Amino acid sequence: MARIRFTNVNKKYANGFHAVRDLNLDIEDREFIVLLGPSGCGKSTTLNMIAGLEEVSDGELIFDEQVVNYVPPHKRDVAMVFQSYALYPHKTVYDNIGFGLKMRNASKEVIDERVRDAAQKLEISHLLDRRPSQLSGGQRQRVALGRAMVRDPSVFLMDEPLSNLDAALRISMRAEIKELHRTMETTFVYVTHDQAEALTLADRIVVMNDGVVQQIGTPDDIYERPSNTFVASFLGSPPINYFDGALEAGPDGEMAFIRDGLRLLLPADYAARLKEKMGRVVRLGIRAEDVVEGTAEPGINALSGTVTSVLPVGSDQYLGMDFGGEELFFRVGKDLRHAFGEKITLAVDLSRLHIFDRESGQSLIWNAA
Amino acid sequence: MSDMPITPPVDRIDYRRRQKIGRIVQRLVILISAILLTAYVLAPVSWLVSSAFQTETEIVSIPPHWIPEHPTLRNFEAIFTAGNDEPVTYETRSGTDPAAGDFIPSTAENLLPSMANSLIVATLVVILNLLVGVPAAYAIAKIRFWGRNASVYFILITRVIPDIALVVPFFLVIRKLGMLDTLGSLVITYLAITVPFTVFILIQYFEGLPDELDKAARVDGCSRFQALIKVFLPLSMPSLVAVVLFTFLTSWNEFLLALMFTQTSASQTLPILLASFTSDFTVSFSFLNAAGVLAVVPPVIVAIVFERYIVSGLTAGAVKG
Ligand SMILES: Nc1ncnc2c1ncn2[C@@H]1O[C@H](COP(=O)(O)OP(=O)(O)O)[C@@H](O)[C@H]1O
Ligand SMILES: [Mg+2]
Repeated sequence: MARIRFTNVNKKYANGFHAVRDLNLDIEDREFIVLLGPSGCGKSTTLNMIAGLEEVSDGELIFDEQVVNYVPPHKRDVAMVFQSYALYPHKTVYDNIGFGLKMRNASKEVIDERVRDAAQKLEISHLLDRRPSQLSGGQRQRVALGRAMVRDPSVFLMDEPLSNLDAALRISMRAEIKELHRTMETTFVYVTHDQAEALTLADRIVVMNDGVVQQIGTPDDIYERPSNTFVASFLGSPPINYFDGALEAGPDGEMAFIRDGLRLLLPADYAARLKEKMGRVVRLGIRAEDVVEGTAEPGINALSGTVTSVLPVGSDQYLGMDFGGEELFFRVGKDLRHAFGEKITLAVDLSRLHIFDRESGQSLIWNAA
Repeated sequence: MSDMPITPPVDRIDYRRRQKIGRIVQRLVILISAILLTAYVLAPVSWLVSSAFQTETEIVSIPPHWIPEHPTLRNFEAIFTAGNDEPVTYETRSGTDPAAGDFIPSTAENLLPSMANSLIVATLVVILNLLVGVPAAYAIAKIRFWGRNASVYFILITRVIPDIALVVPFFLVIRKLGMLDTLGSLVITYLAITVPFTVFILIQYFEGLPDELDKAARVDGCSRFQALIKVFLPLSMPSLVAVVLFTFLTSWNEFLLALMFTQTSASQTLPILLASFTSDFTVSFSFLNAAGVLAVVPPVIVAIVFERYIVSGLTAGAVKG
């Protein structure tokens, strides 16, 4: 049980590399926070600072009311699951799981009870006498989880715990981790570069890039209301489509996004927020799934072009479309079979448009609020 | 022409047979080389052992007897009784073999004390090496601190200077410290020689152990020191054994510094004493060789004992898989 607060935290490595910049983050007690971002953006660094494995160069890291900048890892009540699992190769599974308790001077009976309890929950009771080298990847993963679980820590840290598992196992483990969070009732901080993992697990997601927080919000906030083009591009598959165009007054005086061969009439609340940008060129973002096939007439509130690729993905199909020289990707149902070179028209869901500043990439819709 | 069937040329070479012959030849070559190499390495040692059980006469016989015709334990008896109340003298020893010219070196009685000196020095050097080298290597391998690379280079550079160049400075320091002719002088200087290697070997090994193992241990409640003791040391057995063997053998065999710093049986080590056996007017090969055999025994025992701990694949399973 702990609340974690970063105030203006910076991390500079010994070689001068500035890995985390001005991080401000308030993690509630029992919250499930996911740090999401591309490789090298400073997620692990942030997690390691919470664990005490990396020093905070500047700013304050606070657990509940206590500044913990200089508290060593073994004095913080945190448990951590590593991407490589980092099991102790010379210890049995039982001793691996019990090690943290032993180091905290728990009695033999307590250790035994907790280890067996955790092993049972993770369905690895039959493996307790084995050594890590005798386990499969998935089993090692469970042992690593068990080792963190038995400690009953006030903060539970996970650094890409699922990235070494195969796809099917990864998805079933997501559910187990979510269940673990529910039963343990403790603060989770989870690092991943996998947007799907972040969206499924998180109470709130922190999107990072190059050591800078891009957006903090619920999965819905992040996905539906990305605050800049980086966040918008990082989530969604196929990724969001962008093209530039001008904001102009439409026939009935409403605001429209104009581009040759295309006119999108913007909803009133958009128009209100974009007042100042009237007449300017902006960047429009349309998520792959925010279109509907067929019904619309070309030109108004619809995109038309020729099909450049058709990629069925089981439930849906991904369509590549040549739109005035730019290739856009959409996800549509698979009822209609499309062929290469076919001319199609897709109606745009106007309520789900994203509009960004062309230079800064900041959202002009969601940041205004 | 065009309607002639195209058939591949008949393959007259029997590749299977060729491969078989090739394999046999390969094995033969390896076997013969191995035998030659083994003979080359073992011949001097075998002669040492064999001649230790021969009389002086038999040793100098031509051709030499690789297997003693009249095996005798007299040489060893002479060593273990040297300096006792009833000393083995020229007369008592050569009494049975007047023509042999057997001779007991004047310093023979110092043999066992010097062996004890060698053991004490070597053991202390091994222990101190581990006490100093293990934490140093762990710190350099797993803790990022300012000047880390510089310290590695500095440690290694001390070993670029040949020992002979260090003898005089060492001597002056030891004399100033009033430690001449003490075991302490040897322990100190041997540490200066061996610790850099120890640290270097262990750094290599520790760096090979995943950082995340260190992190896991510390999150699990270990201080740095406990992480070292409880996680790193058990995994480092192979390299620790290498260090133990290396440092033990180095100090057991060291000659130059010991020659400079020691004068009496209070601190003389075995190599010094063995060498002194050849500086009398007469040399007793049989006695010398028996002493040589004794000198080989402790390192062999150390090697056999520690060899068991060289377990490969100890770290398998630490990371993913
Ligand atoms: N010990 C270190 N010294 C210098 N730079 C480091 C160190 N550890 C990580 N970095 C750099 O810091 C950046 C962030 O690393 P990390 O937090 O591990 O990223 P990720 O988001 O992939 O977990 C990377 O560019 C990495 O190269
Ligand atoms: Mg990482």
